[in-house]
Amino acid sequence: MKEVMLDCFGEACPIPLVKAQNKMKEMDIGDILIVSIDHSCAMKNLPDWARGEGHNVEVEETGDGEWEVVIEKVK
Amino acid sequence: MSSFKETMKKITSNPVYVKWLKDAWPYLTGAILLSLFQIVTLATTYNPWGVTGPYTNWGAWIFELFGGSVDKWYYFSSEGMQRTLENGFLADGGSVRNAGLILGALLAVLFASQFKIKKIKSKKQVVAAVLGGLLMGYGARIAYGCNIGALYSGIASLSLSGWVFGIFLFLGAIVGSKLLVKYFM
Repeated sequence: MKEVMLDCFGEACPIPLVKAQNKMKEMDIGDILIVSIDHSCAMKNLPDWARGEGHNVEVEETGDGEWEVVIEKVK
Repeated sequence: MSSFKETMKKITSNPVYVKWLKDAWPYLTGAILLSLFQIVTLATTYNPWGVTGPYTNWGAWIFELFGGSVDKWYYFSSEGMQRTLENGFLADGGSVRNAGLILGALLAVLFASQFKIKKIKSKKQVVAAVLGGLLMGYGARIAYGCNIGALYSGIASLSLSGWVFGIFLFLGAIVGSKLLVKYFM
């Protein structure tokens, strides 16, 4: 089980989502992807997509206008 | 100082604050409010809601500030347009509304304490932003409106043109997404 960090600060939608989707393809089941974002719409479309795929998702506010979307790949 | 922190904590954990100011409102709430306010806009200004039109006036005013003149430009040549430019910013309802849009967005983000000045990541981002802005601005004038004036207000006015605009907006978005994935990933 490994943790993968994905820095998407300064990236506007839909780039964080597409980057996360590509990264998830390379990962194994049980791995955790942590996406750093500062674009509020990624806080919605990224968790929406991941939950729709059936992964476990948590969003944490790490600073003013900064979030971490934590996705556990379950399948 | 500690009491200030306590007060802040009380506010930020208050459910009313969280619901109204911190969390994003549901899409449905936004849709209903937009519909109501576009009716107010039409009723008070006798023009449907638009965004890029007033920005074009801002461009003309800025150009005039530097000593330029748009009197001979076809777009600004009509009498009504000349009058709008002469009467100035505060007499142009659309301009005031656009200023409110920017101010409102700033207030919302400050209330939610989510304000951040974002770093520019690469030169590619700058080129794409400038190029995208120019294309959108040019397209909006050629099409007599943007996704608000031409699409939203077009459809709201029961005009076929709004639907036609919408179809090509989708086609453009598909091409744009392909280009984005190709050059930005």
